[in-house]
Amino acid sequence: MPSPSYILTRLLQIIPTFLFIMVVVFVLVRLLPGDPASAILGERATDEAVERINRQLGLDQPIPVQFVIFLERFFEGDLGNSIHLKIPVVRLIGERLPVTLMLTAYAALLALLLALPLAFIAALRRDRGADVVIRGAFQVGLSMPVFYIGLVLLTIFAARLRWFPVGGFGETLGDQLYHLFLPALTLALSLSAVLMRNLRASIIEVLGAEYVDFARAKGLRPRIVMARHVLRNALISTVTLFGLSIGTLIGGAVITETVFAIPGAGRLMIDSIYGRDYPVVQGLTLVLAILVSLAFLITDLVQAALDPRIGR
Amino acid sequence: MKKLATVALAAALLTGGSAAAPAIERGGDLTFGRYADSLLLDPVWNDANVDIWIFTNLYDTLIRSSPDGKDLEPGLATEWTVSDDGTEVTLTLREGVKFADGSDMTAEDVKWSLDRARNPEYGIWNGLIASIDSVEIADPGTIVLKLKHPDPTIIPALAVFNTAIMPKALYEAAPGATDQEKAEAFAQHPIGTGPFMFESWERGTRMRLVRNPHHWEMGEDGKPLPYLDSVTFEIIPDDATRILKLKSGELGGAEFIPFARVAELDADPNIDMQLFPGTRVTYLTMNVRPQLPDGSPNPLSDVKVRQALNYAIDKNAIVQIVTYGVGKPSQSYMSSTTPLARLEGPLYPYDVEKAKALLGETEWADGFEVSIYALAGSADEIAIDSAVQQMWSQLGVKLNIEQVDNATRTEHYRSGDFQMRNSSWTNDINDPSQITSYMAYYPLIQSVHSGWNNDEVNKLFDQSQQELDPEARAAQYEQIQEIQTSEAPIIYLYETPYPVALQESVEGFHQIPLGNNIFAKTWIEK
Repeated sequence: MPSPSYILTRLLQIIPTFLFIMVVVFVLVRLLPGDPASAILGERATDEAVERINRQLGLDQPIPVQFVIFLERFFEGDLGNSIHLKIPVVRLIGERLPVTLMLTAYAALLALLLALPLAFIAALRRDRGADVVIRGAFQVGLSMPVFYIGLVLLTIFAARLRWFPVGGFGETLGDQLYHLFLPALTLALSLSAVLMRNLRASIIEVLGAEYVDFARAKGLRPRIVMARHVLRNALISTVTLFGLSIGTLIGGAVITETVFAIPGAGRLMIDSIYGRDYPVVQGLTLVLAILVSLAFLITDLVQAALDPRIGR
Repeated sequence: MKKLATVALAAALLTGGSAAAPAIERGGDLTFGRYADSLLLDPVWNDANVDIWIFTNLYDTLIRSSPDGKDLEPGLATEWTVSDDGTEVTLTLREGVKFADGSDMTAEDVKWSLDRARNPEYGIWNGLIASIDSVEIADPGTIVLKLKHPDPTIIPALAVFNTAIMPKALYEAAPGATDQEKAEAFAQHPIGTGPFMFESWERGTRMRLVRNPHHWEMGEDGKPLPYLDSVTFEIIPDDATRILKLKSGELGGAEFIPFARVAELDADPNIDMQLFPGTRVTYLTMNVRPQLPDGSPNPLSDVKVRQALNYAIDKNAIVQIVTYGVGKPSQSYMSSTTPLARLEGPLYPYDVEKAKALLGETEWADGFEVSIYALAGSADEIAIDSAVQQMWSQLGVKLNIEQVDNATRTEHYRSGDFQMRNSSWTNDINDPSQITSYMAYYPLIQSVHSGWNNDEVNKLFDQSQQELDPEARAAQYEQIQEIQTSEAPIIYLYETPYPVALQESVEGFHQIPLGNNIFAKTWIEK
């Protein structure tokens, strides 16, 4: 098990990381050509209108000054207001991020449920019928783009068969889980393909290891060999891969949220970047940076728990 | 006997008359699929079509656009007169109008709403009524506008959404120190005189409007509008998903149907595919300044080059390729649905020989290279540019297509650091002044940032802004359009309608050329 000092060190490492991210995002988004006022006004923009709006937004100040103001407000818990939606960024993120997290978690769970058992079967029946079929099916899933899979599932299972609603989110928790099934499945398919291949290879490698032979030679029952020795060791690299994939899942959520009309943070991020909605981009990046850092930390801790060589 | 006959005749006429009228059925909810959510439901501080196009359901203006967009009708004002010298407008207010909370609409509310709308510090629409010097209450039923100068656009301007009448007392009671803060607070639960009132809003997902029991306008059945109990807007950004939801019956209607799907939905017996005439024009902006940003001479500064480029484009082909035949080639820089639009047939009919001849008369006879900014990911813009690229290759003109995101393109464009870009425009007012001030008039934004500066047109426009004689004004606009279209500072392409698909059972939905969605007279056949 990882030592408390290891955990503490890793937690403290997050702080300078995301301060760095904050500065980079703050500056980068302002260096992009275009500004929120022009994005808002579009074809109707006149120079006076643009200047007036930029002034109201405090964007005529030099960038370092803006950053200081941003930090001051941040420590008061104020991430500013969305320039386009005119509501506080904190509230906006509070409404949209949980939806994306729910979708991502759901997708991660489905990916694991698909990948784990099938990886096992494929590994144990290596190069036989079941293995070939499983690998082939996942290969197909891996090659298709997310929006295509999403639309196909939507057309068949929602529009035609009416087993699921055509997109949208839902009101109660149960209703939401029902609405999110198809989008979560869409996201899960490519991730599960990657996880499956990795775990299968890992299991095959571990099965051939000396300590497994030794465990069998000791007379341990096959089930205990599997659980304590094979699975635990095979999962190490897959867990790492899984943790690293969280970022990809959130990225894939953008497309899925658009196709399935889900009010999540992925779409919010894209729209805000296009519209140069600086407060939302900054606020959302900050929150996502924290979440991804925590995800990496948890991945490291689980890895350390599985592998006693880490975390002393 | 005569009396009995009269009574019998009257009875027959009454029942016969009502039997001929459509049997409007009241009640029900219409779920309408939108491509994007509203941002701010305040008439003065909003800045996007997504808000403008549904305002008419919550708020009313003093004057309204007719369904075909060509005339003006009474709204909250039943009559209006303009003084002979054009500096005073007298409006008679409709009696008995109430806000959705039951309070009466008074002349105070009207004065306050107009003063707020014309405040130069508030929002971006105040310029439309900048000619108003003061708003006065002559008596509880009459409002007088004193203008700084005669303004032929003031009456159409009173039909624009930013002059909607709002409840002063309720608004001022909203939390917030500045007007903008109050607007944002009040807009969370807006109250107006419109046919519907706001019920709930889950941002990004769903907005629900319910019948306003105090609405003033009567339906054909003699009872107050609207016919529907409620309208629910569902936000579905992906076109394919939105259409799927409509076809599966989960939506009563869906807006912004891609042109490629119009024919398919038209053929579906369960779907009513509507194409409402709009004011949307699509064109290519050119930088016509004598020199390019890097100092080299600009081929687009030569009027013959521009004319040649226009002649070399087969507009009908582009209409087919991009709009699948739904659009129409442009007859002017403004849409044919704009009042005073010149309607003398499509501009620059396709003629490659003529184009080559014209180009041959210039110093650019051997061709040249020019680049255009297209919006990355926009299938329509890429399609237009690819077709134009092919057509211009016949002249030896090489078009380079650069795909960028909107904000990047806007920055280049506004600073004059561009050669060409894809553009489009939709009117906000039933008058040619707005589009002309942006596209042909230099002082505002250098003629849509092209740099085209024509003294004659500038002068004509300034005159037309104070010309009260409708015929004289029409003549001025005829001239402005003639000059602009012959000098061709833009590449004219096409105008398109608004494609809205509805279930066959949905009747009475209308979208005016300005884009406003009217649900007041919509009903569902059960």
